[in-house]
Order: sequence, then C-alpha cells, then structure tokens
Amino acid sequence: MRIACPHCGERSLDEFLYSGDATVRRPDFASPTAMDEFIAYTFERTNPAGPHRELWYHAAGCHAWLVVTRNVATHAISSVEPARDVALAGKPETKDGA
Amino acid sequence: MDWHPPATLDLAVSARETLTMASFAAIRGKEEALREAIRAGYGAELPYHAARVAGVGITFVWAGPNQWLAVAERENGRDLEAELKEQLAGIASVVDQSDGRVVVRISGPRARDVLAKGVPIDLHPRAFKPGDVAITHASHIGIILWQTDDAPTYEAALFRSYADSFAHWLFESAAEYASTR
Repeated sequence: MRIACPHCGERSLDEFLYSGDATVRRPDFASPTAMDEFIAYTFERTNPAGPHRELWYHAAGCHAWLVVTRNVATHAISSVEPARDVALAGKPETKDGA
Repeated sequence: MDWHPPATLDLAVSARETLTMASFAAIRGKEEALREAIRAGYGAELPYHAARVAGVGITFVWAGPNQWLAVAERENGRDLEAELKEQLAGIASVVDQSDGRVVVRISGPRARDVLAKGVPIDLHPRAFKPGDVAITHASHIGIILWQTDDAPTYEAALFRSYADSFAHWLFESAAEYASTR
C-alpha cells in the first residue's frame, strides 16, 4: 500500500504509522453524560467493510498527521488530507489567524 | 565515525563538517512576515514544497510543512542559530542543528545506485532532480535528502548519533563499486 502524502508525494507504507479512527471526537468532559461518552470515545468502534476515515502519521517523512479515507476491503485510498485542515474546518477563525 | 569509503572514482563520500545549521518554523500568524524577512535578509523565496533554494550565503531546505533547515558555511565564526534568532525575532522559532545533525555528501556516477539500495523514493532524474528535497529514510535512518547537481551529487542530513550506522550501510552498499585496480 502507498499513501500520497499531501506534502511529500506518494510514499510507501513503511514511512507511516497507523494511528486510529479519524471519525471519533473527544467528548466534552463537562457533559453530564461524560462517562458514557468517554467510554464510547475510547472503546467503541464500528468495523466497516468499506470506506473508512483513518489517522496516519508520516513518521519517517514530514511528520504530518493525515486523515486517509481508505476502503478497508480493497485498500483503495480515495483521499488524503492534512489532519490539521480537517480539524480546523468549520472552527471559527482565531484572533491570530490560525 | 567509522569512515572507510570505498576507493573508486565513481563515488566520493564526505562529511560536511564546516557547516552551521538551524531549523526554524513560523510562529502562528507570522507566516507572511517570515517570508518577507527571508526575502529581505537573504534574497530567497522560502519553498512551500519539498525544495531547496539558495539565498545570499545560505541555503534553505524545506523540512516539513511550515518548517525549514537553514545551512551555511561556518566561516568567521558564523552561527546560524544566533543569526536567525536575531533576524527572525518574534516571527519564527529557531533551533540549532549544527551539533545534532551531520550532512553527508555522496557524489559521482554511482551515487544514485548506492543510495537506491536503501532509500525508498524514486531517485531517477525524471522524479528527483537538483533542487528537490525529500524527507525519508536510508536503511531505516531518517534523513533529509537533497540533490545539488547532475554528477549526481546528493546530500543527506541525519542525526549525528546515527552517522556510524549510516556510514556502515553506505559503505557496504558501495562495496561492489570499489575499484579493483
């Protein structure tokens, strides 16, 4: 399997580390149901036989975190995005433009 | 360093021990100010893709998203960390790399063949040319690799503590090209 890093170009799998499910979001610890939400966040995963969004870390390359959309049945990769862009999408602009 | 490069005219290997190096990254929101400071101070346009550009008395190597490695000769006591900390005060974080990293130059008609044994990227001239940069590994040792000319000449920046392992791999890889004369 090869992953097309948006910064480095296509690189082989041995440069990357798989770092988990990219669809989960850390719950609000102040929520009244925080315990249940954190249990789900930590342990509960769907196991789709098809497209899945995953976090990959370009450990032996540019050290960027990536969100890779991969069909886990065929290994076909349909998109690779910097995780930073995914995380910032939809968030309000901060004062310093980050 | 266990330094026994094979004797051949087809490959020259040397450690560039006369360099001063510093890495830097823009402080959030100061990206444009950083580009302008490098333009004004060194006459160079910072690369935002995997490339290496020359400025006045300095080169800038892309070292990841919004990160660069500045490389210069250490002549007249030049210290890039101190220099850039002054030039880029308030707009970039600067860290010395002169002690932490070593730059190994690998040059000659066999340089590409030797590197190809452990570097997983395509080094064919159609894929990797002078001015190009790749952050990758050589026999599992992390390197920032760039090409400087069509000899071809490559330079690899790696953590100095890995230099022995790197040299061991490099010279084993090069052994078959040693001249028998």
